[in-house]
Amino acid sequence: MSLEEFKDRNIGTQNYRMLDLGESPKSGMEKFKQVVERSVKLELFTGLKVTFREMYKALFKKNMHTVKYPFEKMPIAPRYRAIHQMKRLLESGHYRCIGCGLCEKICIANCIRIDTRYDENQRKEVSEYTINFGRCIFCGYCAEVCPELAIVHGGRYETSSEQRASFSTLEDMLTPLEQLAEQSEFPGFGAISPNADENVKKTPLAY
Amino acid sequence: MDGYIIGTIIKAILVLAIISALAGFGTYIERKVLAFMQRRYGPMHVGPYGLLQIAADGIKLFTKEDFIPSGANRLIFMFAPIITAATAFIALAAVPLLPEFKLFGMTVRAIVADLNIGILFILGMMAAGLYGPLLAGMAQRNKWGLIGAARTAVQFLSYEVVTGLSMLAPIMIVGSLSLIDFNNYQSGGMGEWLIWKQPLAFILFLIAGFAETNRTPFDLLEHEAEIVAGYATEYSGMRWGMFFIGEYANMITIGFIAAIVFLGGFNSWGFLPGGLAIVLKVSLFFFLMLWVRASWPHVRPDQMMWLCWKVLMPLAVINVTLTGLWMMV
Amino acid sequence: MSRNEITITIDGVECRTYEGEYVLNAARANGIFIPAICYLTRCSPTLACRLCLVEADGKRAYACNTKAKDGMQIVTQSEEIMEERRAIMEVYDVNHPLQCGVCDQHGECELQNYTLELEVDSQRFAIADTKRETKNWSSVLHYDAGLCIVCERCVTVCKDMIGDSALKTGPRGGAAVDKSYKQSAPKDAYAMWNKLQKSIIVPSNGTEYTNCSDCGECTAVCPVGALTERDFVYKANPWELREVPATCTHCSSGCQIFYETRFDSIDNTEEKIFRVKNEWNYVSLCGAGRFAYDFENRDVKRDATALKAAVEAIKGADTIRFGSMVSNEEALMLQRLKEKFGMKLYNPEARAFQKFLDAYAHASGHSLYPNDFREIMRECDFVISVGSKLRNDNPNARYVFNNIQKINKGAGFYFHPVGDRLVPTFGRSVECFEHRPGDEEAALYLILDLFADRKKLPKGVLNYLDTFHEKRKKTVKEKVMKEVVEKLLDKETGEEKEVKKKVPQMVEKEIEYEHNLLVERLGGDAENFDEIFAKMMKKKESFALIAGEDLFFHPHYENIAKLIALIEKSCSMKVVMTPPKSNSLGVALICELDDECEGYTIGYNAPGDFRLSALGDGDLDMPAMNQQEGTFVTMNKQVVPTNAALEYGGYELNDIMNELGMGRELTIEWTQELPVEKGFQCVKFDEMPNYYLNDGTEKRGYRLATIKRRASRSNPKKLDDSIVISEGDIAYRCNPPRQFSDFTDKAHQIFEKFALRASPERAQELGERVEVLFDGASIVLDVEADDRMSGDIVEIPDFKSGEDVISLFGESRYSKVTIKRV
Repeated sequence: MSLEEFKDRNIGTQNYRMLDLGESPKSGMEKFKQVVERSVKLELFTGLKVTFREMYKALFKKNMHTVKYPFEKMPIAPRYRAIHQMKRLLESGHYRCIGCGLCEKICIANCIRIDTRYDENQRKEVSEYTINFGRCIFCGYCAEVCPELAIVHGGRYETSSEQRASFSTLEDMLTPLEQLAEQSEFPGFGAISPNADENVKKTPLAY
Repeated sequence: MDGYIIGTIIKAILVLAIISALAGFGTYIERKVLAFMQRRYGPMHVGPYGLLQIAADGIKLFTKEDFIPSGANRLIFMFAPIITAATAFIALAAVPLLPEFKLFGMTVRAIVADLNIGILFILGMMAAGLYGPLLAGMAQRNKWGLIGAARTAVQFLSYEVVTGLSMLAPIMIVGSLSLIDFNNYQSGGMGEWLIWKQPLAFILFLIAGFAETNRTPFDLLEHEAEIVAGYATEYSGMRWGMFFIGEYANMITIGFIAAIVFLGGFNSWGFLPGGLAIVLKVSLFFFLMLWVRASWPHVRPDQMMWLCWKVLMPLAVINVTLTGLWMMV
Repeated sequence: MSRNEITITIDGVECRTYEGEYVLNAARANGIFIPAICYLTRCSPTLACRLCLVEADGKRAYACNTKAKDGMQIVTQSEEIMEERRAIMEVYDVNHPLQCGVCDQHGECELQNYTLELEVDSQRFAIADTKRETKNWSSVLHYDAGLCIVCERCVTVCKDMIGDSALKTGPRGGAAVDKSYKQSAPKDAYAMWNKLQKSIIVPSNGTEYTNCSDCGECTAVCPVGALTERDFVYKANPWELREVPATCTHCSSGCQIFYETRFDSIDNTEEKIFRVKNEWNYVSLCGAGRFAYDFENRDVKRDATALKAAVEAIKGADTIRFGSMVSNEEALMLQRLKEKFGMKLYNPEARAFQKFLDAYAHASGHSLYPNDFREIMRECDFVISVGSKLRNDNPNARYVFNNIQKINKGAGFYFHPVGDRLVPTFGRSVECFEHRPGDEEAALYLILDLFADRKKLPKGVLNYLDTFHEKRKKTVKEKVMKEVVEKLLDKETGEEKEVKKKVPQMVEKEIEYEHNLLVERLGGDAENFDEIFAKMMKKKESFALIAGEDLFFHPHYENIAKLIALIEKSCSMKVVMTPPKSNSLGVALICELDDECEGYTIGYNAPGDFRLSALGDGDLDMPAMNQQEGTFVTMNKQVVPTNAALEYGGYELNDIMNELGMGRELTIEWTQELPVEKGFQCVKFDEMPNYYLNDGTEKRGYRLATIKRRASRSNPKKLDDSIVISEGDIAYRCNPPRQFSDFTDKAHQIFEKFALRASPERAQELGERVEVLFDGASIVLDVEADDRMSGDIVEIPDFKSGEDVISLFGESRYSKVTIKRV
C-alpha cells in the first residue's frame, strides 16, 4: 500500500458547513443593548432556576442520576464487548476453537496469539491461546471473523487484577465445564443473523 | 489594656480557627451543593454523609509532596500562598461577625479590631491579597502560571475600582467607615436596610465581589479549560491548600460585608436574634456563589474587562453622583 | 530444439513467444491470466484439471498442452468456457472439507483462490464421500488424502523434474458419479469428476512409504493442503510468516528460496524459521534446501575476550583454513588478511576447482565455462554427464539431466564408476557407463570421437581417436518372414486345405561392424553401440556436457581441462561445470589459495587450532548463512544475494577486520569491492534483485563476466592406464543426498547419517560396522545400504568437517582402501 493517502495533509478542502450564529454586536451601543436585553429578559435567572429545580428534585424527590457503582451495577447490553469468552461445544464439552488463526490475522491491535500443533488424533490442537489485554481495543473483529462462534465477547468489564495474564489464557476464557449447561450464545458481532437461513443456498447431499 | 490584648489574641485565634474550619467545610458544602444541582450525591463515603471528606482532604493536602518546580523562584513560590491566606484572614479582623454577647460576665464584641476605617482596611487588605496569585503565577516558571498572574493583575485591579465605587455610596449615606456603624445605621428593622436605598450599589458590589473572590463566572485566574490551573498550576499539597483557604475565607468576608452593609447586619430580624440572622445572611451569599457556579458559564477575559470598565464603573460613578445629589438636596 | 520467435494473439493482445511453446506459458509470460491448477512450468502437461480451457482458432483446446503456432488466435474467456471452469471448481469443492481454518494451506490455497476467482457461490453436485486416511509417507512427507484434489502436480514434478518418480495415482475406491449428471454437468467437468472419483495419490513402489530422496518438492507444488511437510503440519498459518528472499547456500546451485519466519511460540517470542518456500515454477529445491534451514548459530552474545583472542590468533596465524560455505564478501576479507599478514589460505575443494579452472582457461582462452544450467535445461536434448555422481553431488545437475530426458525428449550419457539404479530410470535413452575410476579421460575422448566435427580436431587427436576403431564381426539375430504351408481341417466340409502363411522367424547372421575400443574400455556394450547411439541421436539438435567434481580432483586434471576445451571447440556442445561445494566458484575466483595447510591454523567452519565457527562450537562464534547478508556465486555463474532471516547477536568476520583496522562499517560494503578483473561487477548489495519474472526470467544479482585470454594450443595427452584404479576395494568421497556440510547435518529434519554407504549386496558383505584403511590413516564407520547404488565401490561422506575426510582422500575423490569388519 502506498502512503500517498496518508501524506495528503491538505485538510480543509472538505465541505465544511458554517453554522448561522447571527450577527455579533459591533458597536458599543449594540453590545450594551445586548447586555440589557439579556439582563432584562432574565435569561441569567433561567439558568439559576434550572439548577435549583434539579437540586429540589435531587433532595426531595430522591431523583438521582448516580449509580453507586461497586454496590449497584447497570445492566449491560447482551451485545456489549468486554473481556472475551471461549465457548465450548454443547455436546462434547470440547472447545470450539479450531485454531484457524483468523482472529489472530484480523486483530488490528495485533494482540491475539495462538499456538497450535498436530495432535495424536491427527487433528489441529490449540495448545495455547492468549489475548494481550493491554493492547486489545475490544473492537469485536475477532468475534466477527470466527467461523465457529468460538471466541466471543463477554460481559466482564472489570479488568483490573494483580496480573493481566490472569484472564487472558485459553483456560481463563473458556466456559468452565460445570457451567456448560448455562452457556449462552453471544448475540453480538459474529453471531448468526436471525434470517440466516434465507441468505443461504442449500448444498445438495448424497446421503 | 492587658485584657484587651489577651482578648484580641484569643479572638484572633478563634476567628482563624473557626473561619479556616468553615473554609474547609465550605469545600464540602460546595461539592455537595454542586452535586445536588446535577442530581448527584457528592461526597458520601467518608463518614456520615461524607462529612469526614474534609478531614480526608486535609490529611491528603498535608501529607502530599510539597513540590517546587526547578527553575522556580523558590522563595517567592513558597511565600505567595501565605500572602493569599494571610490577607484573607487579616481582612476579617475588621469585620464584626456577631452582635455583642455576654460570656462569663464579660461583654464580648465579636470583632477582633473595631477600626474606624474598617471598610477601607478590609478593601485594602483584600486588594493586597492580589499579590498572592500574582507572585505565585510569576514565580513558578510556567506559562499557564504566568498567564494566570497577568489575569490576576488585570482582574483584581479593575474590580477593586468597582468595589470601592460601589461601597462609596453607602459610606456617604452612613458617614462612617466602621462596619459597626453600618450595622447600627440599619438597626431599625428591614425597612432600614441599605439595599433599598442603594440597590444598584448592592448589585455592583455583588458582581465585583464575585470577581474579587475569583469565583465563577469570573474565575479566569485558574480557568482550567484554558490555562490548566492558572496561577496554581505548579502548586501541590498544603501550599495549594492555602490558596483555597484564602479563597473561601474571602468568600465568607464578602458575604459578611454584603450582609452588614446592605442587609441589616447582625441586627435581630423579626423573631430571629441578630447572631442567627447574620449567619443566615452570610450563608445565603455563600450559597448564591455556589448556585451561580452550578448555573452559569465563565465569561471571556475581554468580556469581563468590558463589563468592568464600560458598564459597571460608569454605573457606579453615576450611582455615587446621584447619591451625592440626593444627599445635597 | 528450435527457438523461433512467433506472434500469437491472446484475447486481442499480441504476444511474442516461441514456436512450440505452450499457449499457457506464452500467456503467463505476457501477463495474461489463464486459470490452471495442474500445470507446472518446466514439466509436462497433466491435463487433470482442465481449467485452462480456451478457444484456439475457434476450437476448444487446453492452453497447457496446445503448442503455439504463428498467428494463432486465442480466446481465454467465453460464456461456455466460464461455465465449464465454474463447474470444474464446483466439482473440486464437492466433499472437500470446509474447515479451511484448520488447513495449513489456507490463505495460499489455489482451491480457495479459484473458487473465489470463478465465483462459485453454490453447489449443484453431490456424491457420497469416501473415507481417505491421512498418511506419513516418509520422515518429512505428510499426505492428507481427504484434502487431495488429485491434480497430480506432485506426481508430475517428481517424475519430470526430480526424477524419483516416487508417486503415482492409485485407486480411490470412491462411488461412481451419478449418470444423471452427464446431462446436467458440462462435458469437461463431468469427465474430470469421473477421473477424480477414481484416483488418489499413492507411493509408486506399492508400499505405504515413498522411496525417494525426500526433497519435498511435492509439498511445495501441492495447490491445497494435502501434501505438507510433517514438521510444519498445523504449526503456523501462511500469512503469519515473514518471507525473507534468500539464496540456499548448501550447494553450488544457489537456488532462490524464501525463508519463512515467525515468532516461535507464545512462550518464546524469538524469531524462528518455520519452513522454506521456493518459486516452484522456476526453481526446484533439493531436500537440503527445503529442510535444512535451522542451522543458525543460536543464542550468541558478543564476547569481547573471544574477539580479542581471535584477532591475536589471526595476527599469529600461518594458515587460515575455511569451508566453502562462505560468502564472497567473507572470501574477500580472508584474501585481504592474506595480503596483509601473508598467511596461507587453505580450502582443498575450492583449490582443486581453482586449479582446474586455471587449466581450463589456459586451454580454452576464457576464464569460465561458457554456458549455464538453465540454458541447457531449456534448449538441449542430449546431455552428457562426466565425473558427477548425479544423484548425490549437485541436485540441480540431476534435475537438469532428468528434465532434459522427460521434457525435451532427450537422451543422455552418464559416465560414472559408481553404479546407480536411479539414473537409468530418467529416460529410455539414458546410457550409463560404469567405467573404472580415473578413466574419465577416456569418456571425454569418446565424446570427441562421437560428436566432434572432425575438421575442427587437431591432426594428432584425430589420429589418436582412429586407433580406437576396429572392424569386427558379430552375429546378429534378424527377423525374416518365412512362408509356411499349413494344413487345416475344415470342420464343415471335413476337407483338408492347405493355407499359406507368413511367419516371422529369427535368423542368425554374421555382419561386420565398427568396434569402438573406447566404449569397451568404459564398460559399454561395444557390439551394439552403433545402433544404440544411432537411436539416441534421432532428432537431436543441441548437446550439453556436465563436467562434474571428479574431474577437478582427477590426477590429470590439466589434461581433462584441455579435453573439455577441445570438446567445446569442436563439438558445438554446451559445457557446464558443477563447482564442488557451496561457493567454491566464488572462493576460487576471489582468493589466492594455497596447496597446503601448515603451522598454526585458524579454522573458519573447518578444523584448526583456533576455530571461528558458525556451528556454535568454535572459539569465536560466527553467523550462519541464514543470519547474514552476502553474495554467492552459483554454478550458473550468477552472483546472487542472500538476506539474513534471523537475528544474530555476536561478532562477524567484518568485526574482526575492524579490530585489525581493515574493516568496513557493514559486511555488505565489501560487495562492491569484489575483484572486477575476475569478472565481478561493482554493484552495491542493496541494488541486487532476487526474484523471477512471470516468464521465468531470472532477476538475481548479476552474471559473472568471462575474461578472455590467449588459448594455448598444445594437444591433450593420451590415455594413461597407470592412474586408473582397476582392482581392490575402492572408496569414493561422496555425501548422501540432502547432506552437504555440517550445516545440513545440524538441521533437525535431515536424517542421513555419517556412514559408509554401499549397494545392498555390498553392505551385506561388509556387515554393520567397518574400518576403512587409507594410506597411513583410517576411519571407522557404520555401514548403510543404499538400494539405489550398485557395484562394489563404497561411498564415504565428507560432510562432517571435523572428520577431515577430504584429507584422507587427498587430491582425488577415489582411493584404494582396505575395508575391515569391526
